[in-house]
Amino acid sequence: MTQISRRDFLKLTRNGILYLSGLLATGGLLRFLSYAPTAEQKTEFDLGSADQYPLGSRTSIPEIPALLIHAESGFTALSLTCTHLGCTLEPNETGFACPCHNSAFDSDGNVTHGPAVKPLQVLRIEITDDRNIKVFTA
Amino acid sequence: MRPSFFHHLHPPTIPADQARWRHTLGAGGTAVFLMLILGVTGILEMFYYIPTPEEAALSVQTITYHVPFGGFIRNLHYWSAQILLIVSAIHLLRVVFTAAYSHPRRFNYLLGLALFVLSILLDFTGYILRWDVDICYPLLTGTNLIKTIPFIGDFFHRLAIGGGEACSTGLLRMYVWHIFGLTLPIIILGIWHAFRVRRDGGIAVPPPQARTDNARISRNELVRREVLAMFIVGIALILLSSSVPAPIAPAMDSTPAAIREAASQSAKAPWFFLWVQQMLKWGDPFIFGIVIPFGILILVAIIPYIFPKPADSDIGTWFPKSNRLAQITMGLVSLIVILLTLLANAN
Amino acid sequence: MQTKPSTFHFLLFIISGLLLVTLSLVWWNSSRHPAPIPLTPTLSGETEYCITCHADLPEISASHPVETFGCVSCHGGERLALNADLAHSAMRGGANPSDLSVVETSCGGSNCHSGSEADDRHHIQRVTTSVQSTYAGAISNILFTFGAQPDLTARFGIAAVTDENTKTGITSLQAFDPVSANHPSIQKFGEECLTCHLHAEPREGEAFARETGCAACHSTETHTLTTAISYTQCNACHNRGNYDLRTMTFIERTDHATTRLQDYYQPIAQFTQCEYTLDCVDCHTRSEVMGDGDIHNDQASIEYVQCKTCHGTLDELPRTKKLTDPNDIAFTLAFLNPVVELKLGDTILVTEKGEPLWNTRVLPDGTYEMIGKATKQYFTFNPVMGSACEQKPDEQESHYCHECHAVEK
Repeated sequence: MTQISRRDFLKLTRNGILYLSGLLATGGLLRFLSYAPTAEQKTEFDLGSADQYPLGSRTSIPEIPALLIHAESGFTALSLTCTHLGCTLEPNETGFACPCHNSAFDSDGNVTHGPAVKPLQVLRIEITDDRNIKVFTA
Repeated sequence: MRPSFFHHLHPPTIPADQARWRHTLGAGGTAVFLMLILGVTGILEMFYYIPTPEEAALSVQTITYHVPFGGFIRNLHYWSAQILLIVSAIHLLRVVFTAAYSHPRRFNYLLGLALFVLSILLDFTGYILRWDVDICYPLLTGTNLIKTIPFIGDFFHRLAIGGGEACSTGLLRMYVWHIFGLTLPIIILGIWHAFRVRRDGGIAVPPPQARTDNARISRNELVRREVLAMFIVGIALILLSSSVPAPIAPAMDSTPAAIREAASQSAKAPWFFLWVQQMLKWGDPFIFGIVIPFGILILVAIIPYIFPKPADSDIGTWFPKSNRLAQITMGLVSLIVILLTLLANAN
Repeated sequence: MQTKPSTFHFLLFIISGLLLVTLSLVWWNSSRHPAPIPLTPTLSGETEYCITCHADLPEISASHPVETFGCVSCHGGERLALNADLAHSAMRGGANPSDLSVVETSCGGSNCHSGSEADDRHHIQRVTTSVQSTYAGAISNILFTFGAQPDLTARFGIAAVTDENTKTGITSLQAFDPVSANHPSIQKFGEECLTCHLHAEPREGEAFARETGCAACHSTETHTLTTAISYTQCNACHNRGNYDLRTMTFIERTDHATTRLQDYYQPIAQFTQCEYTLDCVDCHTRSEVMGDGDIHNDQASIEYVQCKTCHGTLDELPRTKKLTDPNDIAFTLAFLNPVVELKLGDTILVTEKGEPLWNTRVLPDGTYEMIGKATKQYFTFNPVMGSACEQKPDEQESHYCHECHAVEK
């Protein structure tokens, strides 16, 4: 084992301490900047009486944004947020198209054209006892 | 006569070659001048700009339409920023095509590249500060793109806009990044870059023995040329800014539905990110939006380190044989970016 | 290679001159624009600059002075922008902020027209549920005729509406979607016949821009809102042509009749003199026209004013009411359209449902007087009681009266 001089040892330790302090300070700065103030994000939407949406209807709910479908099997809510990077889809003859990067989905929410890979999210629905429809995005 | 402060910023004499327009294209100097204009006009805009989601777009309209010469100041700021990106790119191309990045200027090349990236980010954040209906999708897709980075994406997303959903939040962060978080580094790196130009022996020219012309010019002459160039660029900017207005769009309504409705009319990225938007249409956002753009950046950054060192006599001459590979790489990168931009614009 | 100092100073001189010229250009450019004219409506307190260009528009109505309301509270738009495209880009309902798709934002609010039912300011709720807006009767008729529904009960309107507190038994109408209908005639009906009701999407073109929402009735001239609505305003929709049920098409009128009677309605109809002299709103009441807040099955179930409302029958005089309450709605209505000076203690006619016919008066000699709401003309008329009329009191629909009193076209 080689001897290190007292001065070298002090220098090494000092540098180590300084690097560590720098690391801690950087970490602290990053943690400081990464705080997300709680913004109340609405995740529950009341769509009113189910009677407004007749059998066979497909109603766009822009505030979610979602499409409420009333089929034989019941109500489904299809999210209209593109699964690629989050733009809002626009309905067309065959389904939905994304204005940002050309993704396309059929009317059931399956991808018909990339770059999106995942099908559209089916949102959770609750129908209350007084036949009010509630849609949950989270 | 004792040299003034401004003369003192320059070396007493420099080789005449270093100050030839056909050699430098004047791009670096123009960039400095544009940054000065950006600083001054930006500070002027801060007297009226209000960085809250409710007031931001309205205060931009106040600047544009009501503050005397406010529209002109805003146009100057806008056009300086756009032209800054173009002259920075020209500057970068010049440095690569004249092998000027070569040792000992390799580090300064990286500083310059960092300045370029900071300029792009400043242009993007400045664009977001309009906070009108046109900026929503670029902000949304841009920040969602950050989220796609494995492990650290969410963290960087919070760093960028402070969490929450873009378009309803994030303005304050964008403001602070624009005014301070990006501007301070660009000032420091900019001064460092200029200092290193001088420390590394001025603008790259062939060594004295390889020069055809060994004439030198004095700092007086240099300052004169700079003054003339500033006047010419300034006049051109004034003409442009008084005739072509900077883009503006209706204010974003703060309700999410209204934002989405309005935003769907304009899904186009700002012009300097059109090439990324075009690639994003092709597939996985992480690959096409993060990996490839950063790959290109890293490729450009390591040009001085991986390719054969250009011959000393070639440094500072246009398209020398000894750095062909670097020229081809840089040329291809520019060509691809330009083609992608044109393609995105055509769609 | 050095620039001579003298050359430099000459160049600098030239370029300074150029700089001065360009800066003067900027100065001149900014002084060229007219000075913006600010307006800070007391209602919003937010300064807007619309009247910089729109100073020549007439005041929309005495009840909506521009100093109070400004432009943006109804029209939307970018209040600070001085560029026409930007200023107009966010306007509500385009040229018609009262279009029912945006009416709640433009005209609604508890201080305005979607107040409570109690103080009778629930105008928007009334209009959106009214048959003029839902077109419910015609839709159910068509659906029943072509076998798509088992009876004539209204199930659909042009837009979906609900009314939980309805007194008619119909709590909601679904939006009628003719595209999914299985009969071609229903689809054709959907294409051809759903364009001219208050809740419909207005047809293309400047002429139809204000034919929906409140403006369809209340905007009689450019930038005007009034309750003095002349028959010509009603005719814009109700006399525009005729429909052909076999082909399920609407045939626009192309003729230009010269007299009011000639101009009127379907060729086979009969009219008494008051029907082609008075304006529609002189007899037909607010709840008939604008709805009463409940969803009704069809036009017949809301329209109730008959000849006898004003003239009575052989057995009865028309109903009257002495105005004793200073808060009576009759005073409000007379205030909004001041054709007559109503005073406390005046006796006016009222309908069977008690709605005031505030533009009428009982004269001391037992006859009646009506003042035209749009024409300001005075008309006097007599009750049936005591006249030579032999009409049975229980047969009072207008066609009985028309048998003697109508003018043939």
